[in-house]
Amino acid sequence: MKRALLLAVLLGTNIAQAQVTYERLQSAANEPHNWLTYSGRYAGWRYSTLDQINTTNASHLTMQWAFQVGDLGQFETTPLVVDGVLYGTGQNDRAFAVDARTGRPIWRYQRNLPEKLQPCCGMVNRGMAILGDRLFMATLDAHVIALDTKSGNLLWDVTAADYRKAYTFTVAPLVVKNEVIVGISGGEYGVRGFIDAYDAATGRRVWRFETVPGPGEPGHETWKGDSWKTGGAPAWITGTFDPELNLVYWPTGNPAPSNYGGERGGDNLYSNCMLALDADTGKLKWYFQFTPHDLYDYDATQVPILLDATWEGRPRKLLVQANRNGFFYVLDRTDGKFLSAKAFGKVTWATGIAADGKPLVNTSLKANPQGTRVCPGALGLTNWYAPSYSPDSGLVYIAISNECDLFTSSPQPYRAGHDFLGSVYVPDPVERPTGALKALDALSGAEKWSFPYFSNPNGGALSTAGRIVFAGDSDGNFIALDAGTGHDLWHVQLGAAIYSTAITFQVDGKQYVVVPAGSALFAFSAP
Amino acid sequence: MLKSLCCEMALALACVISLLLYSSLLHAAEKTAAEKASAVKEGASVFRANCSPCHGLNARGGGRGPDLTAGRWTHGSSDAAIFRTISQGVPGTEMPANPLEDSETRAIIAYLRSLSPPKHPAVMGDPAKGDQIFHGKARCLDCHMVSGHGGVLGPDLSRVGASRSISYLMDSIRQPDKDLSSGIVDPNNHYGLPLVYDTVTVVKADGTKLTGVAKNEDTYSLQLISTDQKLHLLLKQDLKEVTHEHRSLMPPYSEDALDAAELRDLIAYLETLRGEEAGGAPLQRSKRSRAKEAQ
Repeated sequence: MKRALLLAVLLGTNIAQAQVTYERLQSAANEPHNWLTYSGRYAGWRYSTLDQINTTNASHLTMQWAFQVGDLGQFETTPLVVDGVLYGTGQNDRAFAVDARTGRPIWRYQRNLPEKLQPCCGMVNRGMAILGDRLFMATLDAHVIALDTKSGNLLWDVTAADYRKAYTFTVAPLVVKNEVIVGISGGEYGVRGFIDAYDAATGRRVWRFETVPGPGEPGHETWKGDSWKTGGAPAWITGTFDPELNLVYWPTGNPAPSNYGGERGGDNLYSNCMLALDADTGKLKWYFQFTPHDLYDYDATQVPILLDATWEGRPRKLLVQANRNGFFYVLDRTDGKFLSAKAFGKVTWATGIAADGKPLVNTSLKANPQGTRVCPGALGLTNWYAPSYSPDSGLVYIAISNECDLFTSSPQPYRAGHDFLGSVYVPDPVERPTGALKALDALSGAEKWSFPYFSNPNGGALSTAGRIVFAGDSDGNFIALDAGTGHDLWHVQLGAAIYSTAITFQVDGKQYVVVPAGSALFAFSAP
Repeated sequence: MLKSLCCEMALALACVISLLLYSSLLHAAEKTAAEKASAVKEGASVFRANCSPCHGLNARGGGRGPDLTAGRWTHGSSDAAIFRTISQGVPGTEMPANPLEDSETRAIIAYLRSLSPPKHPAVMGDPAKGDQIFHGKARCLDCHMVSGHGGVLGPDLSRVGASRSISYLMDSIRQPDKDLSSGIVDPNNHYGLPLVYDTVTVVKADGTKLTGVAKNEDTYSLQLISTDQKLHLLLKQDLKEVTHEHRSLMPPYSEDALDAAELRDLIAYLETLRGEEAGGAPLQRSKRSRAKEAQ
């Protein structure tokens, strides 16, 4: 690894300010000094081979700089780092570039947003994608835009959907070849979900995959009557990509209304699914639905992790996901075949997963007007916050939320641009929600260790070759754990809930780890 | 004859006009009634999604909001005042601003106006006697503060009459464990829940125990008010054990401690505690946002 790092650092010096090509994105793992995609590499590992910060010195981490975004609300960005420049997004569709060694801003961008926007859960943005000298951002008013990397100037701006009907973007795009791929938000407002690809040079839409099939399309029969028109199935978390199979793996969210199923009988495809789409055409290769006819808001919007491993005696291309519904799934990513599922916490909505991958639903717990206690709660056993996979330990690290909710359910008429929930739910008043960072065996899902959080989390995990897992809790603690044991190595109080996940990079021979908290980015390094 | 014919024609015309007018008015009334029913139905739905976590599914109050069917509107009873309260919130209280469509806010008001007030025998009590009980035999000030006087172990009750329903107050006195009061909330933690006034016991490294309520707590530290009302700033690494019990430190006031008449008097007194218009309160958050997940 050290030889690779030296080579990378040398390369980093030589290619300073060079264009980010598709080839570089494909081999992002060979550039550990940079952070080139939302998950660090196409396989969705959120893992770095950097090891300057390691278990022997993590207890001495010190802050190097902070960058104030200048806005309030949840700060959910995953920054990109390219050859010494860090690019991030902030609340209310801000974007910025800073010197990654000092945190000093190079440019700032602020989108002029319309007044009446309907993002369900804050004016958030999770980051950008990069190709060439362009950054790509999906905005709260349902546009996709390109910015110049050196100036932040707007290069193109296209409309994807009508924000007045509550279509919004919060997702960080994924660049594949010359395409910018994005997924829509709005599952709480009865949008009809989609995943789009745009030409990186012009902004022209190349393809769209509707996540709720229309009349005549396969899967349409899984919606009762006209319920498909407001069926939800948003696609608000960044997917992953297998260049060899040329498949984009993109998860989808809840059917709408999220907690009342009376008007939308059927499995409600392709809500709560893992979709495998041809990267060039957007055509569906296969799908796997985790939670058919969902009543509990169990979006499958967790980053899918792509692994190649031996499974039952033969090498297989796998896709693993710790799903919001409480089960850790292993699929064959060539054809979507279900291989295994194991609960990774308290689950009562289903008693298990059948051999065909379908849940054995506990029908006695269906939401009703009076309220029914169901685990996990609507925020899920895990959620959108990033998982991490370390090839060193063979473990997947996930933040989990121990919360059961009392679900009520009632019919709700659809009104364009308005809440479409069919319910309200509240946490169990007796059991206070808590959280944890868990290490699961990447194949069996068996728990290796668990580090308890006082509160349920909103931040994910980053693992490194320094055998560290970096994580953040909702009480403002940024934490370094031993990746093998979960032993607490270091923490710092950043003063506000952490809503995102750390990244790491190296500039001038120094490794940095950066995490958003409150309204600021904080950068740390070892002495 | 001609005059008579004219009179008949005029009468017939008047009848026709009257009938048309009546029909029109009837139609308008039916339309108004239908619109009102529609607004009430929509209001119930919007209320359920946005207001019920604090005010209860049927608007009769909960652990974090007052009964909205009682006809007592602390911040103004006109439609315009209620509209303002909903849309702008009430600074210094637990009521947040709600960025709803104007039509949704009006629908909520229509829904609330459609609800029948509850009948609470407790309001028939004598607040003067309740004042004596509060400051006397019930010893409420030992733990609670009112207008700057009293203890700090329990919640400040300076405006509890404006912020909690009568049934909630009765439960809190008779069965304080039933629905624990909320404490501090982190305004930066959008999905976080407030701490509750549960019973926290810590065991220090030397084996000594402390019991009290947590002013705040996280993965690494605990800020505790012990039953003797001292503040303890604790690091968990220094503690052997931290235990939360889902019970209140407040003793339940049974019939033996407070009979039914005394309870009514006490409630009547608590109902008079409505605070200052510009008063402050610990930050709280609407649960609206938690009814949805990050997207």
